[in-house]
Amino acid sequence: MSSDLFHELEQYRERARIWLKQHAPRFAGEARYNLTDASDLELGRRWMALKHAHGYSGISLPKHFGGAGLSQLHQAVFAQEEMSFNLPTLYFAISLGQPIPILTLYAPEEVSRRFVPPALRGEHIWAQLFSEPSAGSDLGGLRTKAVRDGDNWILSGQKLWTSWAQYADYAVILARHDASVPKHKGLTYFWLDMRAPGVTVRPVRLADGTHDVNEVFLDGVCIPDSQRLGGIGDGFAVAMHTMVIERYAAGADETGYGPSLQQFMALAHNARLAGDPSLADGRVRESIAEAYRLQQALVTMRSKAFLALVRGEEPGAEGSIHKLVSARARQKLSELALDLEGPVGYCGVHAKPKENWVASWLAAPTARIAGGTDEILLNIIAEKILGLPQDYRPDKGLRFDQIS
Amino acid sequence: MSILHSDEQRLIGESARRVCSQMYSGQDLKALLESPGRYDDGFWRACREMGWPALAIPAEYGGLGLGLLEFIIVAEEAGRAVAGAPFLLTSYAAAEAILLAGDEALKSELLPALASGDKIGTLAFAEGTDPVPKDLTATLADGRISGVKQAVVGGAHADIAVVLASRDGVPALGLVDLHDPTVTRDILHTYDNSRGFAHIAFDGTPARVLTALDAADLAWSVLNRVAIGLAAEQAGGADACMELARDYAKTRHAFGQPIGKFQAVKHKIAEMYVANQIAKANCLEAAIAITEGSTRADGLAAAARVSAIKAYDFASREGIQVFGGIGATWASDMHLHLRRARSCAAMLGPRFVWEDRVVAALESGW
Repeated sequence: MSSDLFHELEQYRERARIWLKQHAPRFAGEARYNLTDASDLELGRRWMALKHAHGYSGISLPKHFGGAGLSQLHQAVFAQEEMSFNLPTLYFAISLGQPIPILTLYAPEEVSRRFVPPALRGEHIWAQLFSEPSAGSDLGGLRTKAVRDGDNWILSGQKLWTSWAQYADYAVILARHDASVPKHKGLTYFWLDMRAPGVTVRPVRLADGTHDVNEVFLDGVCIPDSQRLGGIGDGFAVAMHTMVIERYAAGADETGYGPSLQQFMALAHNARLAGDPSLADGRVRESIAEAYRLQQALVTMRSKAFLALVRGEEPGAEGSIHKLVSARARQKLSELALDLEGPVGYCGVHAKPKENWVASWLAAPTARIAGGTDEILLNIIAEKILGLPQDYRPDKGLRFDQIS
Repeated sequence: MSILHSDEQRLIGESARRVCSQMYSGQDLKALLESPGRYDDGFWRACREMGWPALAIPAEYGGLGLGLLEFIIVAEEAGRAVAGAPFLLTSYAAAEAILLAGDEALKSELLPALASGDKIGTLAFAEGTDPVPKDLTATLADGRISGVKQAVVGGAHADIAVVLASRDGVPALGLVDLHDPTVTRDILHTYDNSRGFAHIAFDGTPARVLTALDAADLAWSVLNRVAIGLAAEQAGGADACMELARDYAKTRHAFGQPIGKFQAVKHKIAEMYVANQIAKANCLEAAIAITEGSTRADGLAAAARVSAIKAYDFASREGIQVFGGIGATWASDMHLHLRRARSCAAMLGPRFVWEDRVVAALESGW
């Protein structure tokens, strides 16, 4: 059974490769050089529309919602192949990774029929309003309020780190409907129109100068109860459901989304230390060996996890290990690259992290925080895999309104 | 070739874990620490009964006809139990050298004895910290080897050795009988005595030349395989440290709670797990590359060795830290791992040599 599936996936991979090779270059790499953000997004929308027309957007979503009706594994195969091109897909990663799958699972059918296809075509972008100024790693501690008002809910509060909110047409949101119960139990999940009265988006400029993330203010935003996804008080469980979906559908890059080790080798070959190629220096060689062994292990672990999924086994903790190891390694390699580039390395801050060491280095702190900090990932590994006890949590079991 | 274990490989792993954990006795292993020239004969007998020395030897020479992929499964379990005899690895190493370089007569004569365990083999390549020295002091002339090889692993007990020696200035491989009267062994009192380290002096020892060609590349081909086998042992030992630390951190209380609740402790243990997973992944990928004859084998074997050294060092060192004072006593088993981690790291040349090999492999193409 599983070998049939494996065979089918490999055939699917081959077809995807051929298709990507034929179509992707017009949207990738050089096609994106010197584009404004707006034009890059526009290019991305055209790419999504083309993918959708050929069944490569919403691969694992049901056909009646405009998906291709295939498995998460098909989705993962395509994502792996697509990643080898530098395509303008990031704008849609959250949208299609989390809100849209959740919509298909929790929204009334007519809602999904109406909203999923345009999102798959890149016409609409959905944001995810989760993190807040005082609730990041501790998402369950969020403070945005949802107050019941007849058939409606009134949302008030402030979200932070919301990717692509500046382009978003719609969003899903996690809000607190009840502060008199323990923190995880008082949350409910909704969707909303980002153009509704009371929604204000303000970009946050990150340390590297980019502003892909935003603050979103909700000032008495009124939404009908029909926009609730899942039961009242089930919000945290619904949110976690998306996390699991996302972890296995997304491709993963062993460089931690930084430049490749080949690029580093070329740099080390050209750069000089005391007149000799820096590639001959033992300390540089040690760092290269370090990056290589880590990246290779991640590739192997990913293939192994994928095959285990094909066999029908439960996924392990590869996702957590992958992000932890790759982001740290990218940060170190980027630092060293700038040391070796010397005077040349001071420039180049406007390039993309995958192509440029300065950009990679400046964005590396974010990579180690966003989507699970190193510390949270280590907790996940310790608790979920090794069965070590949860940290001391003084707020455990307390009513949210009694937590200081 | 799949990176997931087949049913057969799983069975090999399960039985190896069962046997190795049954054989394990921290007390006996600690007694061996104080007895140079002794090893755990019970463990070696069990290895022979299980057929492990035969695993990677072709069926036509009395072996089981499996390979490195199966060997690393057993090696990992032996490492987990801080095996009190190094012969699985050293005999594997000698057998691989004979398979890669020996003629038919030599294979037919020696491989069956290595497969059954009747004979114990080892390698004597290194001089100093250099696993394949460029300026060899050992010489091979007129079919006789002379010179000294220091701290040969298993050298205290092995019956035969494949020796790297200079033949008219070119590295050559010669096979010697270590019971020959021209051979003198100086059994060393080391911090990890059951590895059977010995200086071996050859004084015109008769040798059968394995190959007349420059044997440097061949020597590295053998060492790549041995490095992967050793890396599996190290990864197994590192896993044992992680599990000991984890189990202790769950039950030991301080400041009113299990110490495993403190992130300083739990993150340390999680880092051990991550490092061990990385070592095992590299080990597996390298074994596949060797088995498939991939050009990536050099780089991957070196990556496996570097990862395994780092993982075992980290887990044994920080594992003791998790135990606190009791971990640093003779009564604790943790120092068995601390010692083994270091002896494994120093064997086959230090980490730096293998880091250079990773980069050299990358320089010559991906």
